[in-house]
Amino acid sequence: MKEAIKMKKVLAVFICIALIFPALNSLFAKAESVADKALEIANDVINWKKTDVGSDEGGFLLNNSLLELAGSTAGDWYPIGLSRLGKDDNFGGYLAVLKDNVEARYKEQGKLSSAKATEWHRIALAVLAAGGDPTNFGLDESGKPIDLIADGTFDRGKTTSLGRQGINGWIWGLIALDSKWYEIPESAYYTREDIIKEILRQQLSDGGFALSGRNADPDITAMVLQALSPYYNSEKRYSYTLKSTGKEVEKTVREAVDEAVECLSELQLGTGDFKSWGTENVESTDQVLVALCCLGVDPLNDERFIKNGNTLLDGILKYKMSDGGFAHSFTFDPENPAAVPNSSNSMAGEQTLYTMAALWRFENDMRALYDFRPEQSGALKERISLLETGISEITEATSGEKLTELLTAFYSLPENERSYVDGYWALSDMAKEKGIDIEQIAENTVVETFEENDGETEDVIFSESDKRAAEALPQKLTTEQYVTVTALLDKLERSKDFEGKARYLEKLSRAKAEIASVQSEIDSINSEILDKLYPYDNITLADKKTVDEIYARYEALSEYDRAKITGSDDLVKTKTKLDDIFRGIIIALVLGVVAILAAVFLCIRIRKRRRKKEREMEELAEMYKDE
Amino acid sequence: MKKDILAILGIILIIAVIINGTEIQSVDEYYLTHIDDITPESETVFITIRCDTILDNLDALDDNLREFVPPDGVILPKTEYVLRNGDTVFDILDRAVRYNKIQMEYQGAKLNSFGSVYIQGINFLYEFSCGPLSGWMYRVDGEFPNYGCSKYELKDGQSIEWIYTCDLGQDVGAEWFNNLGGQNK
Repeated sequence: MKEAIKMKKVLAVFICIALIFPALNSLFAKAESVADKALEIANDVINWKKTDVGSDEGGFLLNNSLLELAGSTAGDWYPIGLSRLGKDDNFGGYLAVLKDNVEARYKEQGKLSSAKATEWHRIALAVLAAGGDPTNFGLDESGKPIDLIADGTFDRGKTTSLGRQGINGWIWGLIALDSKWYEIPESAYYTREDIIKEILRQQLSDGGFALSGRNADPDITAMVLQALSPYYNSEKRYSYTLKSTGKEVEKTVREAVDEAVECLSELQLGTGDFKSWGTENVESTDQVLVALCCLGVDPLNDERFIKNGNTLLDGILKYKMSDGGFAHSFTFDPENPAAVPNSSNSMAGEQTLYTMAALWRFENDMRALYDFRPEQSGALKERISLLETGISEITEATSGEKLTELLTAFYSLPENERSYVDGYWALSDMAKEKGIDIEQIAENTVVETFEENDGETEDVIFSESDKRAAEALPQKLTTEQYVTVTALLDKLERSKDFEGKARYLEKLSRAKAEIASVQSEIDSINSEILDKLYPYDNITLADKKTVDEIYARYEALSEYDRAKITGSDDLVKTKTKLDDIFRGIIIALVLGVVAILAAVFLCIRIRKRRRKKEREMEELAEMYKDE
Repeated sequence: MKKDILAILGIILIIAVIINGTEIQSVDEYYLTHIDDITPESETVFITIRCDTILDNLDALDDNLREFVPPDGVILPKTEYVLRNGDTVFDILDRAVRYNKIQMEYQGAKLNSFGSVYIQGINFLYEFSCGPLSGWMYRVDGEFPNYGCSKYELKDGQSIEWIYTCDLGQDVGAEWFNNLGGQNK
């Protein structure tokens, strides 16, 4: 972070020169271009993904086909990336479908997931990104508001451990908790300290972190840094037992983070990127770039992250494809050509997208990627920048008085804004060297309050095109209209009153209920198939009625819904088999009847003939009687 | 007399047909209903589903899941299935669990960023059911591919094993774990 200060100075000089000599504007433009470059890369990813989901360049990325993914890992990162880049998109629609998804899953046992707390964390971040409130997001079965933050972070322990899935649960729990600096109530299961300590105690001897094993994994290490970054400037010391060695340790977050940053620097490859699980890939590099932005380390100029002249951005661009998307890696497996490595991939795209958001925000002096609080006010920014300049001027010769003054300025900032003071460590180190009691200054300084830069909420208007979309709904609804109807209804419920609102409300509510009943029919057919059709060899004619019934229900569905029936080929197969057996029986019956008729006919004929013969004999006897 | 003989022959024929079976199928129907019959010509693959690693880690397992762990750890013994054109590892697993009424839950390929189906649980044993490093893995002819099961297209005679790991593959001999370039110093 020393480098960060150096760079700031250089930047300041550049800016001055540029202002004085307009001819040197090109230099200024060069210094500015990282943000532009990040935006350009992000736009390319967005356009690639738009093609991927079948939206055109002028349309929304969050279109119906992406909205179907709301609440899943394949969907949620896109609104996060878009919103953190300040892009306008269909956030209202995303929020509506996501809420429906969460409400439905809250009715299941285990709710969003029985093991993975990260389901809550990712969804909470997506809710924030789309402009919603994760502490009040829909209603559970008993009609209580759903609080994703409480259920997914500080109260998660009441259900199962936040770390049930491993270190990821603790990391993302902390990120979600600090996304808006949510307060933890007294009754909570975990405190922030519990979570921080749980992460710290999993540090490995190489300074990094991993899901398992003794060697650092770049992704996990970088995510730990993202989670711990808000505490980098804290002087609080944590005592904990290291999981790997069982040793008792006492450290500040800053000490642990510095070790992890060193570890990442060592893991960086000559091409600027990283290897995880043995494979060079873009996502690890993405995570490291995000981590440095969160920590306030200039990610492209810090010498620790430039190898052979290659920066992290060079390492990321290595994976850029001609369609604007990103490939996960270039490792090709000739044994299995079905898994294409060097083509654009969803995970690589979404991670690079939000990484560019993090870089763009860093360059524009905005809040960190996962800090969803309103932007800092101008006054606060000015105070921080003034303090940073003061810190950057510290030398061995700086007086104790000056240091105390700077420390006072630091501790007058609200606690949860202090992480934005880049280079505080230099002040802290020097003060400690000079024997200044930081703790006492912290205690004696009055914390100032700064006005929040709160954005006003706009009125929601159910537009003419929304009305047209509602009118255009087909007579027979299928789950294909689920996303449209859910988004429209949600928007309508939030919209200002207008003439005819009640009519639209009724129409859309009815549509939504109808689609819900189609969905439950699909679910019921699916479970019937699983339950009744197997094992295939045991199917007999006795099952015909059941199978015909399931088949008739299947046939009654629209083509779109039929595609949601799993095992429909088995259903067709079973029905064909039974129909064939049935037809065989009918044929056998008909043939049997024919045979019986023929036999009867034969008998009659034979008897007739016999009688005829008898009669003839009698007649003959009569004739020859007289002789 | 001739007519009688014809009628008798007719009756004998009908009886013969009935005894022989009257299930008459078109070629399509025959193909459809016999697609999974194993004949000497059919291409086949084998599948096994096991969770014996849990037996060594029973203390880490959710108590209410114990009943789903078979005493020998074998959920499905080695079973042969016909390989249909384009079948992936997932297709065979899906067929095997359906035909044997084994519970399975998966996340569709569209719903995760890997672009492949992800197996969450088999026989009520889920990822993380037995510790933070537990879940389902598969290997084909002894190798652990590092991509999703719905992306792995099978060939004649291959053998699939679905194995539950309690330690991210290390306890079932996933080699790639010991082979992490740059990470193992």
